[in-house]
Amino acid sequence: MAMEKPRNFPVKPKLKPTSKNSTPTSESKYWKSFKHPKDTPPQTLVSSISSVTFSPVSPHDFSITHSATVTLFSTKTHLPKSTITSPFRDITTSSSFRSDGLLLAAADLSGFINIIDVKTRSSLRRLKGHSRPVRVVKYPRIDKLHLFSGGEDAVVKYWDVMTETGVFDLLGHKDYVRCGDVSPVSDDVFVSGSYDHTVKVWDVRVSSKGSVMEIDHEKPVEGVVYLPSGGLVATAGGNVVKIWDVIGGGRLLHTMESHNKTVTSLCVGKIGKESGEEGQQNRILSVSLDGYMKVFDYAKMKITHSMRFPNPLMSIGFSPDCSTRVIGASNGTLYIGKRKVKKSETEEVGLVGGLWPIAEPEARVLRPSYFRYFHRGQSEKPADGDYAIIRPKKVKVAEHDKLLKKFRHKDALVSALVAKNPEKIVAVMEELIARKKLLKCISNLESEELVLLMGFIQRHSTTPRYAALLMGLAKKVIEMRGEDIKASDELKSDIRNLKRDVEEEVRIQKSLQEIQGIISPLLRIAARR
Amino acid sequence: MIRGGKNYVASPPAFSNDAKKILICSANTVSIFSTSTGLLIGELEGHTAQVSSVIVVPATSGGSKVLCYCWTSSLDGTIRYWDFAVSELIKTIDIRFPVYSMVIPSFLSQPREGNAKPRDIFAYICTAQEKEQTANLFGRIQKCNLSQSRLVGNLILGETETPGPIAISPSGKYIGIQEKRKLRIWETPNKDSDHASYKKIRLHHTKSLTTLAFHPTESIIAAGDVTGRILIWRGVGHRGISGGNSLISGGLVKHTNGKLGVRGYGDAEERPGVRGNDDADSCTTCHWHPGQVDVLFFSSDGAYLYSGGREGVLVVWQLDTGKKKFLPRIGSPLLHYISSPDPTMSSISCADNQIHILKMPSLEIQRSISGIKPHTSVPEMYKGSSRGIAFDQSSAVASVCTDNYCVQFYSLLHDQEVTEVRICERNHQPGEEVTIVVNLVSLSWDGSTMCTVESRSPEEGIGGLQSLKFWSRSPHDKSFSLSTVIYDPHREAAISDIAFHPNRPMAVTSSYGSDFKVWVCSETQQKDQMPLSSGWTCHAVASYKKKQMTAATFSGDGSVLAVAAETVITLWDPDRNILVAVIGETVEPITTLSFVGKSKYLVSTSHGSNPLLCLWSMSSLALSWSCKLFAQDIACSLDGTTFAVLAMSSDHSQSDKTSQISDGIIIIFTVEKPVPVATWFAKKATAGALAFVQSNTGSEESMADEKPNELLAYMNNDREYVLFDPLGKEAIERSVPHETAVGLEEAGRFGYASVYGELPEFKLEERQDPLISSVPRGRTWDTLFSGPSHTLPPMTKLCAVFLESLLERRNVEVE
Repeated sequence: MAMEKPRNFPVKPKLKPTSKNSTPTSESKYWKSFKHPKDTPPQTLVSSISSVTFSPVSPHDFSITHSATVTLFSTKTHLPKSTITSPFRDITTSSSFRSDGLLLAAADLSGFINIIDVKTRSSLRRLKGHSRPVRVVKYPRIDKLHLFSGGEDAVVKYWDVMTETGVFDLLGHKDYVRCGDVSPVSDDVFVSGSYDHTVKVWDVRVSSKGSVMEIDHEKPVEGVVYLPSGGLVATAGGNVVKIWDVIGGGRLLHTMESHNKTVTSLCVGKIGKESGEEGQQNRILSVSLDGYMKVFDYAKMKITHSMRFPNPLMSIGFSPDCSTRVIGASNGTLYIGKRKVKKSETEEVGLVGGLWPIAEPEARVLRPSYFRYFHRGQSEKPADGDYAIIRPKKVKVAEHDKLLKKFRHKDALVSALVAKNPEKIVAVMEELIARKKLLKCISNLESEELVLLMGFIQRHSTTPRYAALLMGLAKKVIEMRGEDIKASDELKSDIRNLKRDVEEEVRIQKSLQEIQGIISPLLRIAARR
Repeated sequence: MIRGGKNYVASPPAFSNDAKKILICSANTVSIFSTSTGLLIGELEGHTAQVSSVIVVPATSGGSKVLCYCWTSSLDGTIRYWDFAVSELIKTIDIRFPVYSMVIPSFLSQPREGNAKPRDIFAYICTAQEKEQTANLFGRIQKCNLSQSRLVGNLILGETETPGPIAISPSGKYIGIQEKRKLRIWETPNKDSDHASYKKIRLHHTKSLTTLAFHPTESIIAAGDVTGRILIWRGVGHRGISGGNSLISGGLVKHTNGKLGVRGYGDAEERPGVRGNDDADSCTTCHWHPGQVDVLFFSSDGAYLYSGGREGVLVVWQLDTGKKKFLPRIGSPLLHYISSPDPTMSSISCADNQIHILKMPSLEIQRSISGIKPHTSVPEMYKGSSRGIAFDQSSAVASVCTDNYCVQFYSLLHDQEVTEVRICERNHQPGEEVTIVVNLVSLSWDGSTMCTVESRSPEEGIGGLQSLKFWSRSPHDKSFSLSTVIYDPHREAAISDIAFHPNRPMAVTSSYGSDFKVWVCSETQQKDQMPLSSGWTCHAVASYKKKQMTAATFSGDGSVLAVAAETVITLWDPDRNILVAVIGETVEPITTLSFVGKSKYLVSTSHGSNPLLCLWSMSSLALSWSCKLFAQDIACSLDGTTFAVLAMSSDHSQSDKTSQISDGIIIIFTVEKPVPVATWFAKKATAGALAFVQSNTGSEESMADEKPNELLAYMNNDREYVLFDPLGKEAIERSVPHETAVGLEEAGRFGYASVYGELPEFKLEERQDPLISSVPRGRTWDTLFSGPSHTLPPMTKLCAVFLESLLERRNVEVE
C-alpha cells in the first residue's frame, strides 16, 4: 500500500520556463571566476591593443603593445609597471619575452625590431631588415640567441640577436605575414600565418628547402598557435578556428564556427585546478571582433564556455600560472581577469622556508581538575566508518505560509507585500483567490498597507507574467477603495503612474498588433508553399 | 465477472480480538484486511444488500483471543453470525426490515458468572420502516434476541425520522441516538431479558446534533453538532440513581426535587450549561472544529476524547485540562474512529474511501487501506468539461481524479490501489466551496504518459487559471513525474477534451474557445550523461469557423485527427495541420467522439434536448446510421467491430435534469447496423464510465494460447465497477484473486509482547477471577495487585473491586 506522509505544501509561484543550460558547469564556473580585481581601476589605454604577452618566468608580468608604446604590467597590482616608448617610431604590433624574461623583443610598423632590457627599459639592439611593417616577432622556447619575425613584405626572417643580422630569409608567403608561433617542443620549428590563406611550418635546420609544411586555412589567417603537445596547431581566420594535426601531415581535425565576426587572436588556456600534470587541461581561447571570448575544449571538440564583452576584441593572453587572463579591446580597454588563488596554494611557498618541525607536545592524561576534561569529545568528528544520524532538517516556513495556515489572510498578503518578492506576492494572491478571500482582504487593508499594494500593482501590472491577474486586480482595487485613494496623495500618484503605464502598454500592444498584421500574411504565403 | 470498487467507509469497521485483522463493511460483503500488511485476506459473502454493521464477539479470556466470530447486520433485513477465520456463515436471523445499525451491549458489560448458564444475547437494532401513506422511511429501535433468533415482540424503544446509527457506551450500559437537536439515551438493564424495562434520558441542545459518544467509566456523554461544537454532559443520569437510592448526599436529593420542575436562577447556577429539565449535572462546550463534527470517541481510560470532522483533522482533547493535540493534513473528512484491542493501534475512516491505521500514542499513520476514491465535487462552471476518469486498456488500470488534487491509479483486476499522483501541491482546504479541481485526466495508449487539467475558478472574474500538465512514467518504478506544465493553454477557455496519438508522443487538446492545439513531445539528450529530458511543446494550433471544439480523437492508426466543432466533425492531418474533410451535422453539439477500433467508422454522441448516437463512415464521409439515445459514455473495442454504449433511460435525460442518479443500460452495437447485440441493465449510471480492458493477467495457465480477451469495464456513479466479458454466454462470477499467501499477517508481535515475549497464561486467568467473582474468597486482594503494572486494569476499576472485597469480608465477620 502506497503511503504518503501528510505534508505541508507552501504556496509556490508558477513555474518559469527554464533554459536547458541553466546550471553552470564546473568549467564555466572556472572561467567566470576570472574577475576584475576590485582594488584596481579599469585600465583604458589610448588605442587598439594589438598584442598581449606574458613573461615566461614568475611573477609572469605581461606586456601590452598599443599605439607607439609597449607597456609592462605587473600581475600583482595589475597596474602599469613601466612604459617603453623611446625606441619606437610607429605603432607597435607585437612583443615577445625571452625565455628568462629579461629581454623583450618588440616590433613596430616602421619595420624595426627592438630588443629591450626589461629592467632598464633601454633598447639594446635594433634588428633592421624588413622593408615593410613587422607584424610578428617571437623568441623560441629556450634559445636565447635567435628569434624570428614576419612582416608585411611576406618574408619570415630568422635573426641572430647578438650580431643584429638575419640568419635566413624564409620565402614562400605570397601576402602579409600576420602571425606566428614557436613550437613548444623544439627550438627550431615555428609556424607563420599569412593573408594568403596559408599557414607555413618552418624548420631552421632545413631552411633551404622552404617551408616544411603548408596548411590552407581558406581564409586570411589572423592568428596561429601551437598547442602544448607540439603536434597540433590552431589557426584563426575569418570567423572560423581550425585545428590541424601537424605531425600527421597537416590533417584538418576540427573546424569551429561559433564566432560571428573575424577571430583576431588565439591563445592556450589551462584549467589549473591541481598543480599535477593530469589536473591541467588545455583549452583554446579565442577572441573575435564580435566581442565574444570562446573557450574550446579540443579534447571533446566542443565549446565549453563563452563570454561576452562590450567591445570588439583584438588580443588575448593567459598567464602560465593560470591566475590571470588579459583581453585587449579595439578601443584600448583592457579586460584583466584575476582568479582568486586559494590560500593553500600560496602557503606552499611559505612552508618551504627552513622551518624544522616542532615536536608535538605529549598528550597529557585528562583529569577532572582540567577544564578541558569537561569539553572532551565535544569536537569529535565522525570517522569514515561511522554511521551519522542526521538531525531531521527543520522545515523553514515562510511568514506568509504560517499566516495562511492560521487563516490570517490579510496578514499573509501584507507580509508577502513587505517581503517584496513579486513571484511570492502573486503566489499568495493566487492562493487567496483559490480560497475566495482576496477581495475581502483588499477591502480590509489599512491605508498604509493599501499603499504597499498599490505600489506593487503599479510596478508590476504591465509585467507580462503577472499582467493577467494584476490588471483585473487593479480595476477591483480602484472600484473598492476609491474613497481611500482619493484621500491619499501617495495613492493618487500611484494611480497616475499606473495610468501612464497602462497607456504605454496599450501603445505597445497596438504596435505589436500592427507587426502581427504585417507578418501574418507573410506566414500564410509561406505556409502555402 | 469481477466486481470491485467497493465503499469501505459506509459503516465503521471492527478489529478482530488479536488486532491483526480489521473487518470492513464493503457493499454486500465484509472484507477482512490484515492490519500489518494492509492487504485483503478474506471476504464474508452472503448478504444481498449493503452491510451496515459488523461486531466482533469479544474474547472473554486470554485463551479465547483466537476466537473469530462476528455478527453482521445488513440492509437486506438479516443478521448473520460468522466465523471469519474460515469465512463461514454459521447462523442467519431474518428480521425482514432493513437493519441500519446494530449494537450488542452484553458483549461489553461485565462478563457473566462462570457457573451460570449462558444468557441470551440481545442486540439493539435500528430498522427502517415504511410509513403507510408516504414512501418515506423512518427508523425504529428494536431489540432482537440473537440466541433465539427472533425479534423481541412488540418492544419498540423509540422511533426516529431517519434510520441512523446507534451509539453504545463502552461498558454497554447505555445506548443512544441523536435526533435533530436532542440525544435519546436508554439505559440497558443489567440482566437483560425479554421483559426488561428501560430508563430513558433526553438531553437537549439548540443546534442539530451529529454524533455522540459515551465515556467508558463515568457518566459523561459527548455530542458534536453541525457548527463544530462538542458538548460534554457530565453526571448524566445521576438523578435516576439518586432517586433509587436516597442515601446519597443531599445535593443530589435536591436534584430529585428538581424533577418537579424547579427551574430557576439557582438551578441554572448549579447545573451550568444544562438545558431545561435535562438529567445532567453540567454541560460544557469545546469548540475547535470549524465545521460539522462527525467523529467522537473516548479513549479507553477515559482521559482523552478524539474528535474529527469535515476539515480532516483528528483532535485529541485531554478531558481534564482541555489541552489539544492534532493529527493534521489527513486530507479528507473523517467518518469513523475505532480503537482496537491492541492499545497501540486504532483506525480512522476517511470520506475518500481510505482507512488509516494509526500508531496510537504518537498518532502516526502506519498503514492505509484505500479503496477507489469517490467522485470529486466539480464546480458548476466545469461541469461540461469534466471527465475525471481514464482507463489504461492494456493493464486494466483506471485512473480517477480525486479530491485533494490527486489522481489515483486503481487496478481493476486486483481491486487495489496501485499508486497515487499528486497533481497540484496544495494543502487540503476544508472550505465548502471547491475552487481548485483536477477535472480532466487522460492516459496515452501505452500508459506511459498522463495528461491532466486542473482548474482554479476565478474570484469575481479575476485569477482563474487552467493548467495543463503532462506527466511521464519512469519505466523502473512506474511512478509518474511531472514533465511539462502549460498555464492557460487556451487562454481563458476551458479544455473540453484530450486525445493521445495511438503510437507517437502527440496529444491534442480541444477547447471551448474555438481552437485546438496539437502538442508533441520533443526529446533532447542532455549534455553530460543526464537522462532523456522531454518537454511537450505546441506543434500546431487550428480552429474551424470560430466554433467551439467539443471533442477530439485520433483514428486507430493515428493518420486522422477528428475534432468535433459543435455540430460538425472536422477531420485533420495531425502532422501537417491541414483540414482534410468536414462531415456532419447533428442537431445538438457533439460531446464525445471515438473511432471504432481500427475500422473506418467514427461514433459520436450528442446530448441536449435531441440526444443522438451517430455512426459515421470514413470511406464515404457520410452518416452510416444514427439512433436516438442519450449516451453517457461510449467505449470501442480494439478489434474494431463492436462498441459499447452506456445509455441513460431517455425520459430521465429530457424531463428533469435535476434527478441526481438514474439508472441506465449498457448496449453493445456492431458497426454494421443499429441493432443491439447485447444489453445489460446498469444501476446508478449517471456519470458512469465504460471501457474495454484487456485481461491477460487473470489466469495465464488456462488461456496461454488464446489471445488476450477483452473485458468490458463499467464503473457507476459510486465508482463501483464490474468487469465482464461482453461476448461471453453467461456471466460467471469470479472473485478477485487475492494473494492470501502474501496478505497474511507478518510474523510480529506488538507492545509488551514484542519486547519481553508472551505473558504466561495463568496470570491472565488469575486476574479474571477477582473481577468476576462476587463470592469473597479468603484473601482476594492479595492477588489483586500482583503482576506487572501494565497488565492491571485501570486504577478506577481495581479500586472499586478492592474496596468491595474488604467490605464483604467485614460483613462476614460481623455476622
